[in-house]
Amino acid sequence: MITSEEQIKAFVGAHDRLHVRGLGSKPALHQVDAPALDMSGLRGIVEYQPGEFTLTVRAGTPLREIVAELEEQGQYLPFDPLLPDSASIGGAVASNLSGSRRHRFGGARDFVLGAAVVDGTAQSYTVGGKVVKNAAGFDLSKFLVGSLGRYAILTELTFKVFPDVPQFHSLRFTYGTLAEALTASYAINRSRFELDALDILPGADGAALLTRLGGFSETLPARAERFSEFVTATTAPQHVEAIKDELSIWDCVGDLDGACLAKVTLAPRQLLELDAAIDGAKRRYTLAGNTGFVACEDAGWLGDVLARQGLRGLLLRGDARSPLLGAPLENVLAARVKATLDPLGKLV
Amino acid sequence: MNRRFIEGLREIYPGNRLLTRDVELLPYESDALTAFQTKPGAVVLPENDDEIIATVRLCHEHGVPFVARGSGTSLSGGSLPIADGLTIALNRLNRIKRIDPQQRIAVVEPGVVNLHISQAAQPYGLYYAPDPSSQSICTIGGNIAFNSGGAHCLKYGMTSNHVLGMKVVLADGSLTEFGSESLDGCGIGPDLIGLFVGSEGLFGIALELTLRLLPIPELYCTVLAAYDDLGQAGDAVSLVVASGLLPGAIEIMDRLAIRAAETVGANYPDAEALLIVEMEGEALQVEAEFAQLRELIERSGAFEIRAAQSEDERARIWKGRKSAFSAVGRLSPDYIVQDGVVPRSRLGEALLQIDALKRRYGLEVANVFHAGDGNLHPLILFDGREEGALHKAEALAGEILAMCVKLGGSITGEHGVGVEKRDYMPAMFSEAELDVMLALRKAIDPREIANRGKMFPGGEAPALTMQGMHPLERQGVISRE
Repeated sequence: MITSEEQIKAFVGAHDRLHVRGLGSKPALHQVDAPALDMSGLRGIVEYQPGEFTLTVRAGTPLREIVAELEEQGQYLPFDPLLPDSASIGGAVASNLSGSRRHRFGGARDFVLGAAVVDGTAQSYTVGGKVVKNAAGFDLSKFLVGSLGRYAILTELTFKVFPDVPQFHSLRFTYGTLAEALTASYAINRSRFELDALDILPGADGAALLTRLGGFSETLPARAERFSEFVTATTAPQHVEAIKDELSIWDCVGDLDGACLAKVTLAPRQLLELDAAIDGAKRRYTLAGNTGFVACEDAGWLGDVLARQGLRGLLLRGDARSPLLGAPLENVLAARVKATLDPLGKLV
Repeated sequence: MNRRFIEGLREIYPGNRLLTRDVELLPYESDALTAFQTKPGAVVLPENDDEIIATVRLCHEHGVPFVARGSGTSLSGGSLPIADGLTIALNRLNRIKRIDPQQRIAVVEPGVVNLHISQAAQPYGLYYAPDPSSQSICTIGGNIAFNSGGAHCLKYGMTSNHVLGMKVVLADGSLTEFGSESLDGCGIGPDLIGLFVGSEGLFGIALELTLRLLPIPELYCTVLAAYDDLGQAGDAVSLVVASGLLPGAIEIMDRLAIRAAETVGANYPDAEALLIVEMEGEALQVEAEFAQLRELIERSGAFEIRAAQSEDERARIWKGRKSAFSAVGRLSPDYIVQDGVVPRSRLGEALLQIDALKRRYGLEVANVFHAGDGNLHPLILFDGREEGALHKAEALAGEILAMCVKLGGSITGEHGVGVEKRDYMPAMFSEAELDVMLALRKAIDPREIANRGKMFPGGEAPALTMQGMHPLERQGVISRE
């Protein structure tokens, strides 16, 4: 089992092609015909300084260990990495996958401060920094967010972390049509209410908005009432109800069973057209309609739909030649970074 | 500059938008780091993307270095011209193409002034969060190049965190777009925005930016606390951070900075240190948080506490802080500002070391800093008319940067490396790290023409000269935060 950076360098040196694998929680990312570099042995928290709001961890560390450690200090990773029970931190960053709570402060790119990497030439170095603010040099640590291990291997990551809120209050607003729900989400998303999460859940008739407020227990009921009044007055929902089960409702992919599961990046104005084309698939939109999660039986079909609409998707589960679905991702700037960090094209 | 190149420029630009005479070039010789000056070979004033693209391609073809320039407010010499190179002034590309309040985005050209975006978004209850002190004059293109910050970075991030999509021309003339209108930005695939933002103009020129807007907070609560001791103010920051509160801004000023602020009528208490903490957000939540904050501050040994009860009072608290830098100019003929970062828990140690250094050098240093994120702004006071004074001040500044790196921080939190700090890059990055950055630069800009001489150590060094403050800074229009 690989447990050190030196071993990773040796592995890169010894192979013409290789593929990075964390804990395998997103199997569709690993359908590659190349030896797997198993990162699961490279684990553990390197440094956690709650007073600095910084955390440095090895890339293969299971998210659940990190979440538990942060919880003890009343802190959290605001980008809300997806699949917290089964994914590694390196995998969550390399695939840029966040859950619903990303809504409040931003995604992985907004909280990665720096990283240690091994590139395709088996060189190791650090990128970015270890303090919460840094503007020196090119920020390759941000570049590697979403890069699927194809440019350099993340071995260690430093994050900015935030204090978590002590309590939540979630509400479900139901609308007659998805268009009405989307219009309501526009109104909420530009309002002065600071939501922890704002998801859109299409249903058989109509759609629901799932909203979550977080804060002090003494002010939360009054805030929730005020928020509910605002939403009712401005968007006229059919029903409003408090969500009892805080835990399961905010697992945004928990109910999305099916052979395939994909993330889609979209602008909210593209949502209705996309949704009409994938009607029948299970789906949920997070980040006020800026990200979609879609479960279906055929990744090829979904890829075709996305390509037609100029959208991109990332397959997490299901069979496909490539996990990259939809519109092509090729980019001249990315190609030049690839030529620099992995000139022999080892990392696939 | 060869004749054929100039002829090429003439084909792109009518006579009055191609500047080549000495008198026309004079305003472009320097930026806000006025100690450095270089005369460019020519300046062009493009008015659209096509002209910029044609210009960059012409530069690539002839191997002529260029620097893109916005308002010239860089504090690190980032927009300093390149000797005999071309300066591409982007101020005329100042259109806000679109504000989409529903999607909470703005699509803008690079020459748009930072504050104008918030002003355009204000009718929709939205604003653009990054707020460098020069926001009333600096352009978004410059903010992109240097990943500008401001007082609210700890909670909201820097420029990079607010860019969703970009259209750019790379230094060899290639055109590319990345990111999207989605709040998920690049979303899938590598985060090219994160790489391009903060690259100090070494990769190319941003032609169009899609920016994230945020709702204007419902309520701001700002408190100012006065201390007899700088250490107490620092301890108060630790208390606030440990409490689980997440203020939008935490600022500290020391005695000399407070004295400077008095020259602009800040009316601050007479203290060794001032702490400013600001909470913002939903009214009910902020009121509760502010009550907790006040309690903490009261326990922290402050001898005077002022809480802003109105927008007017809030503006007064910030006025002294925001103008502290230009106010320092009234205490001293000249000064240098640094923006090193240290881990927050080592702020006290850093301040002690700065104190020892200033004694050793026999120079005054005023300290103003973003305490929440450990971003120091020591202002080193000197008189440029004295022989060797500038070099002495530069040497002290260098020691402060070395200290920041030693304490586990960074040589720059928000001003960038530019010309000023390039020689300190090896203190922060290993040879392997610098080699990779240089290799990247060459892969993207093989002729190394985009903002040549910046960020990397060595390079052509313009001579240090003493010119005093930027005229706009002297008037208090811009300041070095």
